[in-house]
Amino acid sequence: MSIRIAVIDFPASNCNLDAIHVLNNVTKIKADLVWHNHFKESKYDGVVLPGGFSFGDYLRAGIIAAHSPAIEEARIMLKDGRPIIGICNGFQILTEAEFLPGALLQNESLKFICKWINLKVENIKTAFTNKLNLGDVIAVPIAHGEGRYYTDNLKDLEANEQIVFRYSTEQGDLTEDANPNGSLDNIAGICNLEQNCIGLMPHPERASEPILSPKRTDHGKLIFESMVEFIKRRIS
Amino acid sequence: MTKVILDGEEVDIEMTEWEYEKVKDLLKREPNLTELNMFSVMWSEHCSYKSSRPKLKLFEDAEENYDYVLAGPGQDAGVIDIGDGYALAFRIESHNHPSAIEPYHGAATGIGGIIRDILCMGVRPIALLDPLRFGNLKGNPHSQWLFKYVVKGIADYGNCTGIPTIGGEVEFDSSFESNCLVNVACIGLGTIEDFKHAPSRAYNPGDYMVLMGGSTGRDGIHGVTFASRTLTEMSEADRPAVQIGDPFTKKMIIEATLEAVKTGYVRGLKDLGGGGLTCATSELTGDGNTGAKVDLRKVFTREPGMNSYEIMVSESQERMAFIVKPEGLETILEVFRKYEMNFAVIGRTDDSKVLMVFDEEEVVVNIPAKALSESPMFKREEKQPFYLKELLSQKTPEISMGLDEIIYKLIASENICSKEWIYRQYDHEVGVRSVVKCGEGDSGVLRIIGTDKFISASVGVNSKHCFLDPYEGAKGGLVEECGNVIANGANPLAMVNCCNFGNPEIPESFWYFSKAVEGMNDFCRDLKIPIVGGNVSFYNEDEVKKTAIKATPMIMIVGLIEGQENIITLPFKNAGNDILLIGETKAELGGSEYHSVICDLEGGTPPKVDEAKIKATWEFIFELYKNKMIKANHDVNKGGFIISIAEMCFKNILGAELDLSHIIKENLRDDQLLFSESYGRFIVETDPKDYDNIQKLAQKYSVDAKKIGVLISNPKIKIRGLGNKDLILDVQKLKENYDSTIPNLMEI
Repeated sequence: MSIRIAVIDFPASNCNLDAIHVLNNVTKIKADLVWHNHFKESKYDGVVLPGGFSFGDYLRAGIIAAHSPAIEEARIMLKDGRPIIGICNGFQILTEAEFLPGALLQNESLKFICKWINLKVENIKTAFTNKLNLGDVIAVPIAHGEGRYYTDNLKDLEANEQIVFRYSTEQGDLTEDANPNGSLDNIAGICNLEQNCIGLMPHPERASEPILSPKRTDHGKLIFESMVEFIKRRIS
Repeated sequence: MTKVILDGEEVDIEMTEWEYEKVKDLLKREPNLTELNMFSVMWSEHCSYKSSRPKLKLFEDAEENYDYVLAGPGQDAGVIDIGDGYALAFRIESHNHPSAIEPYHGAATGIGGIIRDILCMGVRPIALLDPLRFGNLKGNPHSQWLFKYVVKGIADYGNCTGIPTIGGEVEFDSSFESNCLVNVACIGLGTIEDFKHAPSRAYNPGDYMVLMGGSTGRDGIHGVTFASRTLTEMSEADRPAVQIGDPFTKKMIIEATLEAVKTGYVRGLKDLGGGGLTCATSELTGDGNTGAKVDLRKVFTREPGMNSYEIMVSESQERMAFIVKPEGLETILEVFRKYEMNFAVIGRTDDSKVLMVFDEEEVVVNIPAKALSESPMFKREEKQPFYLKELLSQKTPEISMGLDEIIYKLIASENICSKEWIYRQYDHEVGVRSVVKCGEGDSGVLRIIGTDKFISASVGVNSKHCFLDPYEGAKGGLVEECGNVIANGANPLAMVNCCNFGNPEIPESFWYFSKAVEGMNDFCRDLKIPIVGGNVSFYNEDEVKKTAIKATPMIMIVGLIEGQENIITLPFKNAGNDILLIGETKAELGGSEYHSVICDLEGGTPPKVDEAKIKATWEFIFELYKNKMIKANHDVNKGGFIISIAEMCFKNILGAELDLSHIIKENLRDDQLLFSESYGRFIVETDPKDYDNIQKLAQKYSVDAKKIGVLISNPKIKIRGLGNKDLILDVQKLKENYDSTIPNLMEI
C-alpha cells in the first residue's frame, strides 16, 4: 500500500510548493498539493499545513484558515491518529483551531525574522521525531513575524511531554540569546497529547537538502522521514 | 501646468500648451475631459520617457545582437534564454516619489508593481532585490523613519507574496534626505513556452478583454504625473496619489495568472500599473495594431459614483488585463473563480485601430489606439555643472589619525557596515532556491530546481562616484555588479538599469543622465553585456536645498553558474592559505568612503575604468576558477581592499598577516593604498601550492595578482610594509563595529 500525503493549499500558503518539492523529490513520498476547498481526508495518510500567510493573515495569523472546512476534514484525521504537521503558518492555524494548546504572538523584537537557528530535540515519541535522538541539536531556519509561543499551562505541557523542540545554542544550551523571538521557555514546537500532531515555527522543508544549509546539513528531512516511519508502523 | 478651456470651463492640465496643440492635431478636434486626462497620463515623463527616449535609443538593439535575448528594452521586462528550455525575466524600476511621501505603502506598492511586470511575461516571480538611498541616519529622525518603513514595506509585501528578497544595496548620503530612492527589482523564471504564451499585445480582433484582481478605486489617481515633477513642501497633499498595497490579493493574482497562462487560452497579458486602465488598453491595442470597445461600467469599482476619467486613470493596485481567446473564456473565468478573484469582461478587441470607451450608451473616449503612445519627444539641453571642476581638483588632506583608528571607523560607517538589520526582516529563503544567502556572498545565488544551473544576481552603483563623474561612475557600477556575480562564480549574462536623476529640464541634471547612459552603453558594448531593459526616474530633487540627488544609474546584473561545484563564496576558509589582491590599486580616493567619513570631503579624483584591463581580469579569474584555484573571492568595493579582507575574516573568525611592501608604489600614500576604491579588484584566497601557476597565468593575461599575505588562525589582521608604522587590528572588534552601527541607530 502506497503512502499518500496532502499538502493543504490555502490562499497564500506560500511555502506550499516547497513542501511538495521536499516530500516528492527529497523524501520520495507521494504528496499532492490540494486546494483547501477540495480537500477530503479519506484519501490521505497524513497532512502537512505549510507555512505562508493564509488568507493574508490580516486579521490574526492563521485564524481564517482555522475556521475553514479543510480543517474540519483534518480534525477527523487528528481524532483517528493520522499524522498532522503544521509548519510556521500551519502551526499558527493548528493553535487557532485548537488542535494544539497555546498561541503564537508577535515576536519580541516586533519585527519579522529570517535566520537559521538551532533546535534541541525534547521529545522523540511523536509522529514526526521518531528518527531523531533525544537531545539532538538540529539546524533549521525560521522566517516569521508572529512566532512567540505562549501558554498559560506550561506545567501541563511539560508534564504531558508536549514540548517537542526548544530553541538552543549549537551546543544544546537553552539560553536567552538562542531564543530568537521571546517564546516562553524557548519553545519552538509542541505536540498534542496523543503525539500524532505537531506544530513548529521553524521550516524543516528549507533544511532538508545540504545545498540549502549553511552547514550543509539536512536535519529537516528527518522530520518528514519520521512521519513516513510512523505511517508505516500505523498501517502494519 | 497649463490652463485650457473645455466645455466652457477652465481646467488645469499637466501638459505644455504645445503638447495640448499636438493632442488636438492627433484627434483633429478638441479632446473631452476624460481623453485629455488620458493623454496627460500617457504623455507624462513617467509613462512616455519623453526626455530620456532620444538618449535611450542607444540601448535598443539587444534583441538583434544577442541570440539569447528573447525580450529587450521597451517591454515589461527583459527576458533571456538560459538553456534547458528555461527563460529568465528581470526588470528594475523606481518607486521614489511615493516612498518619500509614504514610505511603507510607497515601497510596498513598488514591490507590487515590479512583481506584475515580471508576471505579465508569463513566468513565476522567484526573487526580489531592492537597492535604496536615504539621507544619513545619524542624528536624522526623518531619514530613520523613511528607512525603517521602507524596509518594513518591502518585507511585509515581499514576505506575504512568498517571493524571497535575495539581495539589495543601500547608501546613505545627505543628497537623498528629502528624496529617498526606492528601486525594486524582480526576477522571474519559467519555460520559454510560458513566455511565448503571454505577449503584452492584443493582436487578434475578436478576443475578450478581461480585467482581474483588485477593484478600481480613487487611490493613485495621477500617480504618474505626481512622479513626473519635483517633490515640494506641498507634496504631502499628494499623499492620495500613493496607492495602497494588498500583498494577499497579489499572491492570488500570481497564482491565478500563472494557472490561466498554462491553459493556453490567454493571447495577451498586461499589468495595470502607472496610467492604470488607460495605459493597459491603449498599449495592448496600440502595440497589437488592433482596436477595442470597452464598457467602463463593467469595471468593478471600490466606491460608487466614480466618473469615467477617474476609472480610466486610477492606479489602484493588484489588477491585470487579459486578452482571452473567445473559445477559452469560460475556462479562464473558472480559474479566476477558483482563486475567488474579482473579474469582469470589460470589452472586445476589433480591427478598428480605435480605442472606444463607453459609459453606458455614451462614448466617452474615441481615440486612435496608437495616439496615446505617440508622445512628443524633447531634446533636452545638457551642460556640465560648473562646480565639478573645483570638486575634482580637491586634494586628500594629510592623514589625520592612526590608520588603525581609521579602519575601525570606516568599517562602522553607515555605507560599509553590515546590512543584516535589513535582510533579517526579509524572508530570503522561501522557494527553497537560495543557495548563497544574504550576507554570505557578493551576490544572491539561486538554484534552478531540477537542473545543475544557478542564477546569480546583484544590484547597485556608487552614487558618490557618479556625482563626480557620471560616465566613469556608470561604467564603474557595471564593473562592480559584474564583479559581484563573478565573485560567486557566475558569468554575467545581461543587465537592466534604473536611472535616478534630477529634473531633466535643468541642463546640469540632464548632463548627468546623458553621460551615465553613454557610460553604460560604451561599457556594455565593449564587454558584450546586453542591456535588456531600463526605467527612468527624473525629478529627484531636494526642493529645500535646490539641489538634485547624487546621480544614481542603478545597475542590476544577472549571471549564470553551471554546476554546483563552481559556486564560490566570500568567507576565508583555511589558515595557511595565501591572500591575493587581483587588479591594480591607484590613487583614486575621489568620492570614496575614506574621503567622506574621515576627511569630510566630497571631491577628489574618482576611479576610472579601463575596459581592456577589466576584461583581462575577468578572463583571468575564470581561468583560475576552471583550475579550481580559488577558495574564496570577494570583490573590492567601498573602503578599499582592507575592508574586503576584514569582511572575509568574519565568518570563520580567521586573521591575516599582510605584507604590503610588494604593492606599495612610489607616489602612492598609505591611505591611497589602503582605502582607494579603484575598480576591477578582487581579494582571493588560494592554496600556496598553486602560487607559481597563478603567477604564470597572471603574466599571460597581464593582470596584477600580488600575494599580499597569508591567513592565520589568530583573529588579528597584522599589517607590515606600510610607510607608516605596522598595524595590528582585532577581528572581533572590527566585527563588533561592523555589526552594531545600524542596530544602534535604529533600535532606540
